[in-house]
Amino acid sequence: MSTFSDASGAIAPLPKARRATGFGGVLPALAFVAIFFIAPVAVLLLRSVLEPVPGLGNYAQLIGSATYLKIFANTFIVSGLVTVISLLIGFPVAWALAIMPGRLTSVIFAILLLSMWTNLLARTYAWMVLLQRTGLINKMLIGMGLIDKPLALVNNLTGVTIGMTYIMLPFIILPLYGVIRKIDPSTLQAAALCGANRWQCLTRVLLPLAMPGMAAGALMVFVMSLGYFVTPSLLGGTANMMLAELIAQFVQSLVNWGMGGAAALVLLVVTLSLYAVQLRFVGNQNPGGR
Amino acid sequence: MKTTFAFAAVAAFVAVSVPAHADNMVFSSWGGTTQDAQKAAWASPFTEKTGITVVQDGPTDYGKLKAMVEAGQVTWDVVDVEGDYAAQAGKNGQLEKLDFSVIDKSKLDPRFVTDYSVGSFYYSFVIGCNADAVSACPKTWADLFDTTKFPGKRTFYKWSAPGVIEAALLADGVAADKLYPLDLDRAFKKLDTIKSDIVWWSGGAQSQQLLASAEAPFGSIWNGRMTALAASGIKTETSWEQNITAADSLVVPKGSPNVEAAMKFIAMATSAEPQAALAKATGYAPINVDSAKLMDPETAKTLPDQQTASQVNADMNYWADNRDAIGEKWYAWQAK
Repeated sequence: MSTFSDASGAIAPLPKARRATGFGGVLPALAFVAIFFIAPVAVLLLRSVLEPVPGLGNYAQLIGSATYLKIFANTFIVSGLVTVISLLIGFPVAWALAIMPGRLTSVIFAILLLSMWTNLLARTYAWMVLLQRTGLINKMLIGMGLIDKPLALVNNLTGVTIGMTYIMLPFIILPLYGVIRKIDPSTLQAAALCGANRWQCLTRVLLPLAMPGMAAGALMVFVMSLGYFVTPSLLGGTANMMLAELIAQFVQSLVNWGMGGAAALVLLVVTLSLYAVQLRFVGNQNPGGR
Repeated sequence: MKTTFAFAAVAAFVAVSVPAHADNMVFSSWGGTTQDAQKAAWASPFTEKTGITVVQDGPTDYGKLKAMVEAGQVTWDVVDVEGDYAAQAGKNGQLEKLDFSVIDKSKLDPRFVTDYSVGSFYYSFVIGCNADAVSACPKTWADLFDTTKFPGKRTFYKWSAPGVIEAALLADGVAADKLYPLDLDRAFKKLDTIKSDIVWWSGGAQSQQLLASAEAPFGSIWNGRMTALAASGIKTETSWEQNITAADSLVVPKGSPNVEAAMKFIAMATSAEPQAALAKATGYAPINVDSAKLMDPETAKTLPDQQTASQVNADMNYWADNRDAIGEKWYAWQAK
């Protein structure tokens, strides 16, 4: 940290030093971003317009191909679905965590974090074993006489959605928990005193107050889902191929960096635009203002 | 400001990486049990004999290999790649020519030798079956495409590579010697008939899991995985009828800092004894024709090189020339 005050060239009282560091203080961070983020993206962009021949051929091929468009659409559908389901499951969990007694909260947190720290591949394979036709869930359902033919739970959209939602849940629960815990319980009491019923308390008080957490969590889950590779590759069928898998195929296997670069760039641009839109949206909705 | 530049300089230095040391060389393969076997059968005796340390790296990644060669910063000296990729990369100037004054090719199966590559080991796509799970096992590719006689899910290799398209054409009645050039439309039409019954495997472990759990009780599998499955106690049946061969290849990326050591390593890896040792460990066939007599006949019998009478050779050169075009159609069909 001493670097920062060195860079400002002055030994000043702390608050002033902080302001004074200004641009100089962020230079290392900027250099870091430039080297590890902007440079590779620039190279990607160059490759996508230079290989195999200069021009926009790769982009034309991407947009002109029904297959690739389908993969794009599928990527967004899966990500959207995972985001919505994560929110629906995550919100009650986060709420429960926020109002639960402390000891129980830490147990649930431990479970959440342990699942996050377990190897991703192991977790995905575990789902495969659970969901397949000869898997535990189907065997149980058949054993109980609820179904007589195994359900197709894996190698399709269902499998991807279940697997990805499971993996994304902590990323939505944690930010939501943070926001909900900060909500003053007396606001709900006040609403009730003013005659709001339970539904109105939820929709007109709690949800708006939790909105920033929901938006942040949803954005994170959606964006992470867009680039997801392992889980869709293992739990999905070929009809639900996602963009990351296509990019990996272009780069690693077909060694077609032009197309890989173009696909990656489209994904990046879409993601950043969504982020920008979301920032505005959250900015307006945030009761505290920005 | 100084620290900023120092930081940037360090970062740039790390980014371009450090070349390997002279007494070392780096071997890259696909990881897992196969690379463990390659380490034990090839690298250890090589180090013992020459004193050159072989650093293991991987998994092999063609994008990474291309990046190394283009940047002139090659950190892999010998790489285990797929045969069709070797043919393509050789043509594209990304590989060193092999030195056949060091590597003795007179004993190597000529199917797997080019100017730029020699076979690493060779394998077959066979029809594998979990005999405990079904009343009858499919014997031919036509059987595997026959959902009336053999109902249930079947598994195939997910990626665009030699194997599945050939199987579809053979099942449709194309003669083995008339496969190339591949009639892709006909192949996909045949594949359409079983599309909803296919469960794809994307890696060897997954193919084993699918068969063992009877999620897909039969399918097109690498023969070595069937050997492993049989060893794990599951009652399996393997049909070698029109087994489709493809080989992995050993190549040296252009600009490798240890070309000399690399050639010596390849010479050692493809010699009779190490090839036999690898075959014993993996169930894949040696590409050295003298290896078979170094193995006990029981083991040798289970390898693809004993099944040449019913063998169909995937044409690596055809695949090398058409990788991109086939890949595009392949993924379009899969995603449909």
